[in-house]
Amino acid sequence: MPIKAQLFITCLAEQFFPGVLRRMVGLLERLGVEVAFPEEQTCCGQPFFNSGYQTQARELARKWLEVFGRTDGFIVSPSGSCVDMVRHHYPHLFSPGTPEHRLAEDTAARTFEFTQFLVQQLKVTDVGARFPHKATYHASCHLLRGLGVREEPKALLRKVQGLELVPLSSEETCCGFGGTFSVIYPEVSQAMMEAKVNSIEASGAEVVVACDAGCLMNIAGGLRKVNSPIKAMHLIEVLTADRGTP
Amino acid sequence: MSQAAAPIDFRTNAQHVPPKMPAAVQKATAKFLGSRAALVEALGNDLWQTLRQAGHDLRLHAITHLDHYLEQAERAVTKVGGHVHWARDAGEANRIVLEIARQHDVKKVVKSKSMATEEIGLNHAMEAVGIQVIETDLGEYIVQLLGVGPAHIVVPAFHLSKEEIADLFRKKLGVDAPAEAEKLTQVARTKLREEFLAADLGISGGNFLVAETGTIVTVTNEGNGRMCTTIPPVHVAIVGIDKVVPDWESLTVLLKVLARSATGQKITCYTQFISGPPGAEAETGPKELHLILLDNGRSRILKSPECRETLLCIRCGACLNICPVFNSVGGYTYGYPISGPTGMMFASQILGAKAAGGLPFASTLCGACNDICPVKIPITEILLHLRHRVVEGDEQEKAVAPYALRMGAQAGSLALRTPWLYRLGSTMLKWLQTPLKRDGWLPRLPPPLNRWTMARPFPAFASDFRTWWRTRSREAKGRQ
Amino acid sequence: MDSAREEILGKVRASLGRGPGSPVAPVPPTTRVSPRAPASTDAEIALLFSEIEKLNGITRRLAGRDDLKTALAELVKAEAVKKATLWATPEFQALDVAGALKALGVELTSPQADQRLVAECELGVTGVDVALPETGTLLLRSSPEKPRVVSLLPRVHLAILRRAALRADLHQAFSEVKQDGYCVLVTGPSRTADIELTLTLGVHGPKALYAWLLDEA
Repeated sequence: MPIKAQLFITCLAEQFFPGVLRRMVGLLERLGVEVAFPEEQTCCGQPFFNSGYQTQARELARKWLEVFGRTDGFIVSPSGSCVDMVRHHYPHLFSPGTPEHRLAEDTAARTFEFTQFLVQQLKVTDVGARFPHKATYHASCHLLRGLGVREEPKALLRKVQGLELVPLSSEETCCGFGGTFSVIYPEVSQAMMEAKVNSIEASGAEVVVACDAGCLMNIAGGLRKVNSPIKAMHLIEVLTADRGTP
Repeated sequence: MSQAAAPIDFRTNAQHVPPKMPAAVQKATAKFLGSRAALVEALGNDLWQTLRQAGHDLRLHAITHLDHYLEQAERAVTKVGGHVHWARDAGEANRIVLEIARQHDVKKVVKSKSMATEEIGLNHAMEAVGIQVIETDLGEYIVQLLGVGPAHIVVPAFHLSKEEIADLFRKKLGVDAPAEAEKLTQVARTKLREEFLAADLGISGGNFLVAETGTIVTVTNEGNGRMCTTIPPVHVAIVGIDKVVPDWESLTVLLKVLARSATGQKITCYTQFISGPPGAEAETGPKELHLILLDNGRSRILKSPECRETLLCIRCGACLNICPVFNSVGGYTYGYPISGPTGMMFASQILGAKAAGGLPFASTLCGACNDICPVKIPITEILLHLRHRVVEGDEQEKAVAPYALRMGAQAGSLALRTPWLYRLGSTMLKWLQTPLKRDGWLPRLPPPLNRWTMARPFPAFASDFRTWWRTRSREAKGRQ
Repeated sequence: MDSAREEILGKVRASLGRGPGSPVAPVPPTTRVSPRAPASTDAEIALLFSEIEKLNGITRRLAGRDDLKTALAELVKAEAVKKATLWATPEFQALDVAGALKALGVELTSPQADQRLVAECELGVTGVDVALPETGTLLLRSSPEKPRVVSLLPRVHLAILRRAALRADLHQAFSEVKQDGYCVLVTGPSRTADIELTLTLGVHGPKALYAWLLDEA
């Protein structure tokens, strides 16, 4: 019985990083995973929840659970913050003891971020990738502290042929995205982003790698603003860099 | 609701952070964090996590039985000859202090550092009736001379240079000292000695209040806390009702995590345990001890099960030190004596959503504070609930967010949970962006997204996954 | 009746859903953390001294009363002591600390004198009720024989301790002193980093701390 993974593509990755999604499909299939895509999915509701709109977050959670609740297999996402929303906050949106709450708990239990899925579930750290460059890793906050995923992305990076992983002095410091924070307090967001960009430049890396679309939007934008040659890439792009454009 | 407050405008404050401030903040916090990390490593992570959990559980136990422990503390303090007063709010607390001052014909007061006294504006209240109030913690003394509040709860004047302080001492004290920390400290020592010895009243806060024996615990480094509570003939301690701990054994946990978390010291220089005034015999120390138990909104914070763990805070400042937002802007931006993550929780609840509704949003919810808090307060969970309170209202307060925003959220939710609307929106954005697109980026966007593009370009909308998937599935089917 | 008291307690109870007679759960067992286990006495003394020295305290071991006299002479000279104030415990009387200081030409001020006079003393001499090696902490109790100002006002604080004062951890110390009216944990000379985070000693409390272990039985 092949392992089945439902793709939870996330609204940000869908709008801004479709290449990451295509590469994720290819990589999972090469690892022998049967990939499915529930087409009715939209957004997990995190921006609403984080902004205090729990009513709207609940509506979107209901929709998400309606779409994914009736699937089987794992639910896999290229974004730590969206998975954190589902795993940690969905159950709290519904009263304990109700069917909705049970559905939230059951579905959350099989929802994983991509590196979690690869390393913890598939027990894979070497996907046979090649990327002969100096890279540094930015740990997205919700992935790191929400889901407790600290080593998995780096374990995957260390197995990439030719890749030299250099430390990032601010690896675990927030990049300043914070969802709506970036537009509610733009000056502070900018200051935090600039600090992250300075740290990346100081690392000597050619590439900064992250596992969250929000962080990548922010950091990539910050690097572009200063005309930096450093590229911001999703981990999945590094793991499939030698595969050409799907 | 406590005293009416002008709304705190975090964004405007953030726009006016002095250029030197971020570097000064980061230097200070890096030092404390480094020292803390070394001590935590020496203790061992297992023991540290055990202490954190123990600290959390006993502080939670204390506040969930707060009525019992407050009564026990009151009985104990009274038994050892102290006077207990209860203050519902800032105004009442100040009136009580002024009455004690009047009874003792107080002209001069020396104060050790107390966030509670800053919270209630005690200094202003005393100065308004002609009483001279002198802050004696060196950092507080400096910012008092400057006429500003503290920039950090542990090191109030960290952002000032030696030269600025030397200048200040020259102007305000008429003392010409070289701009060296040692010499400037000596100036303060000499000057403040005179004040301690001449003061009619000493005011302190309390880091903890032990219910078992009615003991006020003060945790300090400089010795001014000891001076304020030993030299003047009367001692007034203002302690928030949230500071109660059940017994001395609780302190064996809390005293191990407090200084390590605050400054990276195993313990501070002086930890005092004050149970009533000294006996009538010829022992030095104040003749009278007054303990003022301050509510000022804490009983209301207690009401909300989602937010009551705010009251577990032991004021170590570690969350300030680790917070990337605090490190970018410094303490003054928060508009409240306590700043950083714990300040956001306190201020927004004590002042209310109208006055401080923007504060819970001044965070990216990165969660670093949760991990560093020595008593495991779920800070980001509390901030999330406070955001919910601001925009939707809860049992404590009505929503204060503008109606337009709520309408916007409803519209957004409708669009996002209706797949065809979502897909249509996605397609439309790809068309609409065309005139704004530059090389795969959107360098300028109209409001409100101009707030993004003022800092960095926005990525271009590029959704094509669904068509790719459908094409691929069709091709796969075709091959079967 | 104090209406503020009633109102505050009433609000607290209402917030918690409690009444005046509501039960109080015992303090949860998870909140109790065991005291550290002490090493051998010699190791504890070494640890105590090492911690005190890390904090710029100055330690010394004294074999007996003659040693004490010699050490006092050196201290008086090094710190230019003209006036001193001391505890008046039976231990100090037996050691005749007062006599030793007077013999060195030091003028003694009673701790009960006007505080301005006590503040003029360069030296304050106390005993030590409890010594905690893990943090280099000295616990000083308070009584008419052990006035608080002795360890507070003078520029130099000399603490004379005995082995019998050693305790493994705060737990043991607290169970002995919790019924006192006052005690203070002293850990190193007073300090601040308030100016540019530069460490300076001797802010309001003593600038120098001497901790001497007297081995004589």
